[in-house]
Amino acid sequence: MGNISDEVKDKSTGDNELIYKYNRELFYHFDKETGFTQEVDYQNPNNQVIIKQSWDAAEQRLNEVKQLVIIGKLSPIAYYMEKILMEVPMLAAYMEISGWRVRRHLKSRVFKKLNQEILARYAAIFGITIEQLTKPDFLG
Amino acid sequence: METTKTIINYTHRQAGHCESGATSNLFKFNGLEISEPMAFGVGNGLYFSYIPFLKIQFAPMLSFRNLPNTVFKRSTAYMGVDATVIKKIKDPVEAMERLDRNLEKGIPTGCQVGVFQLTFFPPEYRMHYNMHNLVVFGKEGNLYHVSDTVMEFPQVITYDDLLRVRYAKGAFAPQGKMYWINHTIDQPVDLKAAVILGIKKTVHEMIGIPFPLIGVKGLRWLARDIKKWPIKHGNDKASFYLGQILRMAEDFGTGGAGFRYIYGAFLKEAGELFNHHAELLEASDMMGKTANKWREFTYMGARNCKNRSKPEEDYGTLSVKLLEIAADEEKVYQKLKKINF
Repeated sequence: MGNISDEVKDKSTGDNELIYKYNRELFYHFDKETGFTQEVDYQNPNNQVIIKQSWDAAEQRLNEVKQLVIIGKLSPIAYYMEKILMEVPMLAAYMEISGWRVRRHLKSRVFKKLNQEILARYAAIFGITIEQLTKPDFLG
Repeated sequence: METTKTIINYTHRQAGHCESGATSNLFKFNGLEISEPMAFGVGNGLYFSYIPFLKIQFAPMLSFRNLPNTVFKRSTAYMGVDATVIKKIKDPVEAMERLDRNLEKGIPTGCQVGVFQLTFFPPEYRMHYNMHNLVVFGKEGNLYHVSDTVMEFPQVITYDDLLRVRYAKGAFAPQGKMYWINHTIDQPVDLKAAVILGIKKTVHEMIGIPFPLIGVKGLRWLARDIKKWPIKHGNDKASFYLGQILRMAEDFGTGGAGFRYIYGAFLKEAGELFNHHAELLEASDMMGKTANKWREFTYMGARNCKNRSKPEEDYGTLSVKLLEIAADEEKVYQKLKKINF
C-alpha cells in the first residue's frame, strides 16, 4: 500500500498520536498494483480527531444545559438526558409516554410537581437514584 | 443458576461492515464460501441517502448503507438460500427464549442491536446507533458468546445486557429482530445469477430512483449544501456537521470510505467469477479509485475540522471534491448498467 500510506502522511493533520486504542478494526485499501487489500489496525489518527471532536461537542452541549439547570431554566431531567446523549423522542420512547410530556418535564416548574412514580422511572433510565435526580450534585 | 453450556463451533472473522460480515460468516458456517464483499455486493449494501431535514444526534441524517437487514435478506433471497428473519418480537423474554432454543438446535443466530449499552463495544463508538449486528453462537449459564465483526475477538455478554441492547429504542429500533440460515447449504448455489440481480438492484438504487436525496443525486445535493453550511450555521456547527459526515463514512465498521472499498472488492470478485469479465474488472478499478478519493475527502475534512481557517474557501473545495466523487461514481454505475451478462 505504498501510495496510500504516503498519502496518509501527507494529508495527516500533523497530530499522529492515537487517542483511542481499545480495539483494532478491519480496513480495506485499494492500490493500482496490489488491488484491494485488507488490514487490521487502530482507527487512523485523522479519524480519531473527528471522533474526539464529536465527543467534545457532546460535552459542550452538556455544559450549556448544566448552566441552564443551575439558573433554573431547565429541570435536571434535561441535564441527565443530555448526559446519556438522548433526545426527547428517544427518552419518550424509553419512558413510554408522549414526547410533549417529556418536553414539559424539562421545565423546572413542572419538574417540581412530578410524582414519585414518574421520577423513579426517569431515575431508572438514567441509572441514578431519585435523590440524585431531584438534587444533582452540581446544584449543591 | 443454570449451568447449561452450549457453544456452537462458529468461526469469528473480523469484517469491515457488521451486517455483511455477519452474513458472510453465517454463510461460511453453513458450508458456502461467500466472502464479505460478495455478501455485501449481492445484498445491496451500497447506498447513499441524505435527509437534511431529519436530524440524528444533532446533525443531518446521512447514510452510506441500506436499511438494516437488507444485506442478509437480499443476499439469501438472491442466492435461493433458505433463511428466516423475525422482524419484531414484542415480548423481550420471549425473544431471549427463542434465541436460546436456536442455540440448543445448534443454529448461530444474528441479532440487530443498539450500540449505546453494548458493554464490550469500543467506548468511543457508543452512540445511540441501532443498526448494528452481531451473531450469538453460544450460551454458558448467564453469559452469551457473541461474534461482533467490528471486534478483533469473540466477546461475551450477560443475559440482561443482551436483552437491553436488543430492545434499545430510537430510530431504527431493533425490536428484538433476529435472523438465521435454516440448514446447511448442500445444493449448488447459482452465484452468477445472484450477482447479476445484486448489481442491477444497486445500480437502480444509486442512479435509478427519481428522488433527489437518494443515490448519486443525494450526493450532489449534499455537495451543494456543504458549501452553504459555514454561512448558514456558523463555523462551529458547520464543522460539527462535517465531522458527523466523516464519521459516518469512516467509522461504524464501513471498511473505510463509506463502503466503497468493499463494493470495489465485490466487483473484482464478480469479474473473476464471470471468467475475468473485462468491464466488471474495469468498474472495480474505477470504484477503487473513487474510494481513494473518498478517503482523500475525509482527510481534507479532518484537517478542516481541526484548523477551521478560511472556512468558506475550505468548504468550497470540499464541495468540489464531493461533486467530483459523485461524477466518478455515476460513471461506474452507468458502466455497470450497460454490461450485458
